Amino acid sequence: MAIRRFWVFIEQEAGKVHPVSWELLGVARMLANQVLPEAEAAGDQVTVEGVLLGYQVEPIAKEALCYGADRVYLLDDPVFEHYRNCPYYQTLAYVARKHEPEVFLMGATTLGRDLAGAVATALGTGLTADCTQLAMGEVKGAKQRLLLATRPAFGGNIMATILCRQHRPQMSSVRPRVFPMPERISEPTGEILKEEVLVTEEGAKACILEFVHAKGESVNIEYADVIVAGGRGLGSPEGFKLLEELATELGGVVGVSRPLVDAGWISYAHQVGQSGRTVRPKLYIAAGISGALQHKVGMQNSDFIIAINNDPDAPIFDVADVGIVGDLYQVIPEMLKQIRALKETAA
Amino acid sequence: MFHALVAIKQVPDTTNIRIDPETGNLVREGVPAIMNPYDAHALAEAVHWKRKLGGKVTVVSMGPPSFIVTIREAIELGADRGILISDRKFAGADTLATSYVLAAVIAEVHAEDPLDLIFFGKQAIDGDTAQVGPGVAVRLDMPIVTYAVKVRDIDLQGRTVVVERKTERWTEVVETPLPTLLTCEKEIAEIPFAPLPDLIRSLRYDPEIWSREEPIEFDSGQIGVRGSPTIVYKMGTPPLPEAGEKVNARELGVGTAVSHALDLAQRSGILSAVLGGE
Amino acid sequence: MNQHERIEFDVVVVGAGLAGSAAAMVMAREGLNVALVERGQKPGGKNYFGGAIYTHAIEEVLPDFMERNPPFERPVTEAGFWFLSQDGLMRATVQGGNLDRSPADAYTTLRASFDLWWAEQAQKEGAFLIPKTTVVDFIREADGQVIGVVTDRPQGEIYAPVVIICEGVNNLLAQKLGLIDRDLEPAHLALAFKQVISLSSETINTRFGLPDSEHGLAVSVLGDVSLGLPGMGFVYTNKTTLSVGLGVMLDTLAEYKLKPYEVLQRYLAHPAIAPLVAGGQLLEYGGHLIPEGGYRDMPRLFTGGAMVAGDAAAMVNALHWEGTNMAIIAGKRAAETALEAHSRGDFSERVMSRYEDRLKDGFILQDLKQYRNFARFLETHPEFMGTYPVFLNDALGNFFSAYGKPKRRLFREILGALTNRRSLPQAAGDIISMGRAVMGW
Ligand SMILES: Cc1cc2nc3c(=O)[nH]c(=O)nc-3n(C[C@H](O)[C@H](O)[C@H](O)COP(=O)(O)OP(=O)(O)OC[C@H]3O[C@@H](n4cnc5c(N)ncnc54)[C@H](O)[C@@H]3O)c2cc1C
Ligand SMILES: Cc1cc2nc3c(=O)[nH]c(=O)nc-3n(C[C@H](O)[C@H](O)[C@H](O)COP(=O)(O)OP(=O)(O)OC[C@H]3O[C@@H](n4cnc5c(N)ncnc54)[C@H](O)[C@@H]3O)c2cc1C
Ligand SMILES: Nc1ncnc2c1ncn2[C@@H]1O[C@H](COP(=O)(O)O)[C@@H](O)[C@H]1O
Repeated sequence: MAIRRFWVFIEQEAGKVHPVSWELLGVARMLANQVLPEAEAAGDQVTVEGVLLGYQVEPIAKEALCYGADRVYLLDDPVFEHYRNCPYYQTLAYVARKHEPEVFLMGATTLGRDLAGAVATALGTGLTADCTQLAMGEVKGAKQRLLLATRPAFGGNIMATILCRQHRPQMSSVRPRVFPMPERISEPTGEILKEEVLVTEEGAKACILEFVHAKGESVNIEYADVIVAGGRGLGSPEGFKLLEELATELGGVVGVSRPLVDAGWISYAHQVGQSGRTVRPKLYIAAGISGALQHKVGMQNSDFIIAINNDPDAPIFDVADVGIVGDLYQVIPEMLKQIRALKETAA
Repeated sequence: MFHALVAIKQVPDTTNIRIDPETGNLVREGVPAIMNPYDAHALAEAVHWKRKLGGKVTVVSMGPPSFIVTIREAIELGADRGILISDRKFAGADTLATSYVLAAVIAEVHAEDPLDLIFFGKQAIDGDTAQVGPGVAVRLDMPIVTYAVKVRDIDLQGRTVVVERKTERWTEVVETPLPTLLTCEKEIAEIPFAPLPDLIRSLRYDPEIWSREEPIEFDSGQIGVRGSPTIVYKMGTPPLPEAGEKVNARELGVGTAVSHALDLAQRSGILSAVLGGE
Repeated sequence: MNQHERIEFDVVVVGAGLAGSAAAMVMAREGLNVALVERGQKPGGKNYFGGAIYTHAIEEVLPDFMERNPPFERPVTEAGFWFLSQDGLMRATVQGGNLDRSPADAYTTLRASFDLWWAEQAQKEGAFLIPKTTVVDFIREADGQVIGVVTDRPQGEIYAPVVIICEGVNNLLAQKLGLIDRDLEPAHLALAFKQVISLSSETINTRFGLPDSEHGLAVSVLGDVSLGLPGMGFVYTNKTTLSVGLGVMLDTLAEYKLKPYEVLQRYLAHPAIAPLVAGGQLLEYGGHLIPEGGYRDMPRLFTGGAMVAGDAAAMVNALHWEGTNMAIIAGKRAAETALEAHSRGDFSERVMSRYEDRLKDGFILQDLKQYRNFARFLETHPEFMGTYPVFLNDALGNFFSAYGKPKRRLFREILGALTNRRSLPQAAGDIISMGRAVMGW
């Protein structure tokens, strides 16, 4: 009897977990379920497991159980207080060699991408970056289902599905918000296993001198509930005021398509899409955005999409739940008016 | 004397890529090949420090002979030496095999003429993987600083470098021992307009071509397709989701169109979830 | 890099277009160390023309050109005029005879590939191409003698005792040298814009009645092409694309506030043109100026250490769409003069003046002189671009319709259609002034 382990790297910084870790536990569970029938037939066991590195982070390990981990390997040591590539990759490679996971998922965050390439190289295995779809599928010539990792390529114009036949673990990094957040369970049954830490401060190779926080407001559009997004159709920075007004009215934040960032109207942190952020708000309003593939991949998983565009054939309408064909300079003020009225009647 | 190495890749200019609407295939014809933009910025930073400290910049690239133009471009931007690692057997390499080859070459260059800093781009815009830099650092057992936005200080005597790197949350100031590998964001340096003598030198420059056997021998199990654990299984255009309802403000009037749209949002429970949440 | 390193060549050629690469080729072949400076990423990248290129000129510079795989599209086996009325088309083209030779008299081509190949031939002869670099000024001695150029790059001086200016239609550098004291006038500049439209070669052959891809068509289109304003259209068949466009005088565009793209769209939508381009995919769209002022707009062609050739010297014969051949031959003549100067070790204005003598011997200066009034003629006789072609078209349309009317009445109607537009004495006068303009009377 073998154990087929589906691993997730639980990412935390300064004691704060990155929510993509929970999304990935959900994905790992989905993948594990896809192999369950063949595993049961072969008498194999299937588990979803998290790996957590940090200093004084045991509460996070417990939380990971609540998001569906059967087991969490905890490596708690001062050397892990701040993320550094060397001690982290060496430790992950070490625990992975010891437990031999079949699949290993990480968030495609700045930290995750720094780490994933190093871990994969140390383990001599394949890694598929920035995946947007994952599945365990039957592949000709393979005894067991393999991880089918799909990601955009060539500037997002094409989707490529990548396989790693021989080498283990099959590694992928996944962008935040591509997958939904799983339900949290309050009475988890999983266990926490403390692993021995072998790396030392001397082996860390890097010393962090300082953390500089950016001045001004920091936006986090990835986890916003409402995004009011504008594109080149705004025409001038004046249109921006309208967007902001609507966003404020809805308690949301402003998002944009890439040309507006390139034009310097707003910071990169607001860019939605392939080379910006992937978002998944409850409500996404796209005004004056044509709906290029590279933009759509970043927002098509939103719960409800309203598109406003004066071109009835704009591709943005293909992903919208409701499309308004019209001039945004007429539609948005009207929308503001009606929403204010709705709020008043509700109050 | 300062010695930096920059890994550069030639990529199709993805901002110019078209998809054949009938076949769904990539139209490669006429797509200009450029130096990966992140690499160009990394190179500009390496050259900046060379000019400041005195020394030399070596560039390496793995790819087909057509990459020679990219190496020449690097010479134009101020590199002194260019190495093209080119052999049919290298074709089909994924990031693991690429990092094997680059690491071996960098180790050889380092043995000849010790390196202080090794610059990579943050990622190559054709694949956007950002894996090769970290992979090479692991193979060379060298410290790495990813997402570098500024090299604050290089201390050749004390053998340290201080680098700023940008993460989602903050900017970190990191000190590492030399040699260190950096993967660079575009902010690291502006690409200067090269002086005419450098351009002329680059036009006359012939890079060194390293093959599978000369001047160092590569392990044939670790290069090209054989050395690549991942394979592309399928390519396709992304599937289209189902489109929702469309209302035309010109035909219905703006007021009606908007109230209809809000009504739909209301019915799916979204609007009250959003408005109620305040 | 050594700060004091001085870059020296025997000659600097400015612009790797048709004139520039021709000049570079001729000089490099004779052993001169030639710098060919081009502002574009590659030669030809941003250069546009109709068009067709004439082999007599290419051959004069490169006798074995056919063996060097020139990127020709199709030989021109049918050439002439099309006259458009509002909805009709009258063709006056010739084929066979002179057009049936091999190599052909002219080939259609696209500049992006032709100029690249042309510059490569210069490089093969040993010329040194310096791309991505723009010449912005000259290095001159106190007496004005040119001894090099200044480029837009840091440490960008290139020294050479001779500079050949082949910068194309902009005459900025000629102005810098004081060879001409003004910009070209909008009234003498045509803005030509065109689309390259892709179609299968079979479709092209069928639509243009060409037996196969070894036959091609080059026509000038007159009449109702440009919203009734003076302008001339063109259609060239390439292997699997069409080059379709038109030129309109710049002052006309400005006066009527027209957008080039709209004029072109309207032309492409003409009932006689639309079916030719239907179903094609637009590959490129671009515009370029043509200096149509000819002889009267020519700068002084030389000064101590410098010469001007091609469009930069307004060497274009607008009526015959000749420009490429003049550019190439003028480039060659300038090159010969530079060689003479080098062999004598004398780069003075006196030796440079031999360039003009050489040009006077050939067709370039003779033709340009003969046509010197042509630009002004078109300015004062717009009816040659509009009224007459439309009239001809209508007249022939009537002639070939049976109507069931007495023929005498038909002729009177046709004549009436003309006199409605121009009185008979006016028409006679028009013809005489046309003759004057073309024959140089
Ligand atoms: C490698 C790569 C990565 C990329 N990454 C991203 C990315 O992360 N994010 C991103 O957004 N893009 C990205 N792009 C760019 C993307 O391809 C598109 O160019 C971009 O999304 C277009 O932005 P837009 O929709 O605002 O502009 P446009 O395509 O110009 O669309 C403007 C729209 O506004 C409409 N409009 C105009 N006026 C009005 C009006 N008054 N009222 C209503 N509608 C109006 C027009 O009909 C049109 O549909 C990337 C491209 C590449 C090659
Ligand atoms: C639409 C159109 C149709 C035409 N059709 C025909 C036709 O059918 N047959 C025909 O014979 N002629 C035709 N002509 C005219 C013909 O194209 C020109 O006369 C000819 O190209 C002139 O050649 P040139 O070498 O003088 O200039 P160009 O070919 O324009 O070359 C000038 C070169 O100089 C470079 N350059 C400019 N300034 C600088 C600088 N400061 N530093 C460095 N480089 C510089 C430019 O990038 C360019 O490569 C047509 C023109 C147009 C626009
Ligand atoms: N074939 C190659 N030759 C040289 N450098 C490369 C090559 N491939 C990748 N690199 C370097 O690795 C960086 C990251 O590439 P990637 O991991 O493919 O996104 C690039 O910015 C280059 O600096």
